[in-house]
Amino acid sequence: MTMTPVNLSSTVADDEPPVSLWRDAWHRLLRNKLAVAGLAVVILLAFVAVFGPWLTPYDFLTQDLSARNQAPSLAHLFGTDDLGRDVFSRVVYGTRTAFVVAIVVTAIAVVIGVTLGAMAGFFGGMFDRVVMWFTDMTMSVPNLLLVVVINASLKTPITAWMEARYQATLNPFYRETIWVDFLLVFGSMALISWPPYARLVRAQVLSIRGRPYVTAARALGLTNRLILMRYIVPNAIGPLIVSVSAGLGTAMVLESAFSFLGVGVNPPTPSWGNMISDGLRVWQHYPHLLAAPAAVLGLATVAFSFLGDGLNDALNPRGSK
Amino acid sequence: MAAEPLIKVENLVKHFVVRLGAFGERGATVYAVDDVSFDIFAGETLSLVGESGCGKSTTGFTLLNLQKATSGKVIFQGENIVSLDEKRMRPYRRELQIVFQDPYSTLNPRMTIGEVVGEPILFHKLATKAELPECVSRLLADVGLPARFAQRYPHELSGGQRQRVAIARALACQPKFIVCDEAISALDVSVQAQIINLLLDLQEKYGLTYLFIAHDLAVVRHISTRVGVMYLGRMAELATREQLFSNPLHPYTRALLSAVPEADPELEKTRQRQILTGDVPSPLAPPAGCRFHTRCPIAMDKCKAVVPEWREVVPGHHVSCHAVGMETAG
Repeated sequence: MTMTPVNLSSTVADDEPPVSLWRDAWHRLLRNKLAVAGLAVVILLAFVAVFGPWLTPYDFLTQDLSARNQAPSLAHLFGTDDLGRDVFSRVVYGTRTAFVVAIVVTAIAVVIGVTLGAMAGFFGGMFDRVVMWFTDMTMSVPNLLLVVVINASLKTPITAWMEARYQATLNPFYRETIWVDFLLVFGSMALISWPPYARLVRAQVLSIRGRPYVTAARALGLTNRLILMRYIVPNAIGPLIVSVSAGLGTAMVLESAFSFLGVGVNPPTPSWGNMISDGLRVWQHYPHLLAAPAAVLGLATVAFSFLGDGLNDALNPRGSK
Repeated sequence: MAAEPLIKVENLVKHFVVRLGAFGERGATVYAVDDVSFDIFAGETLSLVGESGCGKSTTGFTLLNLQKATSGKVIFQGENIVSLDEKRMRPYRRELQIVFQDPYSTLNPRMTIGEVVGEPILFHKLATKAELPECVSRLLADVGLPARFAQRYPHELSGGQRQRVAIARALACQPKFIVCDEAISALDVSVQAQIINLLLDLQEKYGLTYLFIAHDLAVVRHISTRVGVMYLGRMAELATREQLFSNPLHPYTRALLSAVPEADPELEKTRQRQILTGDVPSPLAPPAGCRFHTRCPIAMDKCKAVVPEWREVVPGHHVSCHAVGMETAG
């Protein structure tokens, strides 16, 4: 039997290396200046968050009452606050708080959202409908209101319960009210953050599971697990990466907003939000107390937003043209 | 032709239930495939033709148990495969493959060609990991692609090349039977010819059996052993290629064939065309009796009430039309 000769020169040259979609996207991302700038700032902030304690000349708690409300100088890059604490050190530690909150909250939200969304999309039916009811319900409540209500109503009883447990067991763990803060802050923020991920992933799965290559995989006899892992998830993950990148920035802003309102991370743990809140009271006299944390928060938000836009263009090249 | 069919389709029915209205308050049934029976013999190419939406693709999908049949049987190797769950279906999946219409969405964009073709081999344990590159190159050679394509991603290939990869993926399972679901319809005409010749070469080399779903009658005439004509979810006529093209019995088949242009301009001038009026009725509310009676030039009162029987008028020539019996009788 002879094979029909085919002209194969049309699309692929011999010497060109093969290009996967991921590598292709990475090259497109690197060509986008704003995205690279965003990525650089994000990496810098992450570096600061991780190595903060080795970068700051002062402890964020150390008060120097002889040097209160100083303007920025070489000794105190961002000046000092009303208790004489070094603002630069506090901003650095605030970066830590922001990253921890953003990463933990986004991680919880992504795990909940992706699991529920993927299952809703894949299995459909009643499960799908119930999940979508919950997302619609959660999204219909104003975010700030929900978080404020949760914190206001649960903080006192949980703290009281912890105190009671401490009295009963004398286990020092129950004295650490910081855990209550974390539980409530992370929990309530994750609670309002997961629905968009669930919807996004569900929509992706719905559109992908009907594509011929998935039907082909079923025709090959592949198991549901293999089809999900090799066919659906890798093709659904692009928009999710974009959404997570934007979501990290949003989570930082949310955390600041809650700290600003006094329902977030509690003082003396520095957070950009509670620093802005403190700074706002005296900004006419000591503008640097407001400017420093606000500028860093703004920088972080813009960086994540540029990176997210760049990722979107890189991963969905057809949509950006 | 072997006496015992490779696949026996008996009274296959596929209905879809859809929700209509702003709130999905009304249920309706799409009669996509309704009581279709035919045999597929080993080594043949059985073509299914018909207008869009007549149920030919659904027949292919239901036959492979990719969509659950509403009722009916598909007998393959003594087993009614449409009643099997996914786990018990798995061993049969290897032998029954499919090639799709759209070459751009038929391959997973995140997998290299080598992975696409190699996956079924490893999954069905048809070769060891060490033998895999060799197997993949042989399969790519079978479909006329160089071995270096194994490193490529689908988006680097042209439509025709992707369709070759899709055929190689189906071949990787060492199947007996392949459903070609409009496998060439989305390609350029020159590429269509290449892919058809490739399919014919492979059929000869591996003794494959095809169910060829198409709407291009010129192509069907070129490659088929037998041809089935479908209309609105029912089989109108099924015969060998020679019988069907030289002596079409069903008025719908005649209308279809008269729509094929002649290459010879002299013949084209004298060609008798029979133009059907009206549209295909909705499969949500198919006409009672013979489904074709609303457009049939020779419809009788009986056609509006009684579903014509599916009968073999000449050996190998099946038709469902009330008028055919009368013609031969009269």
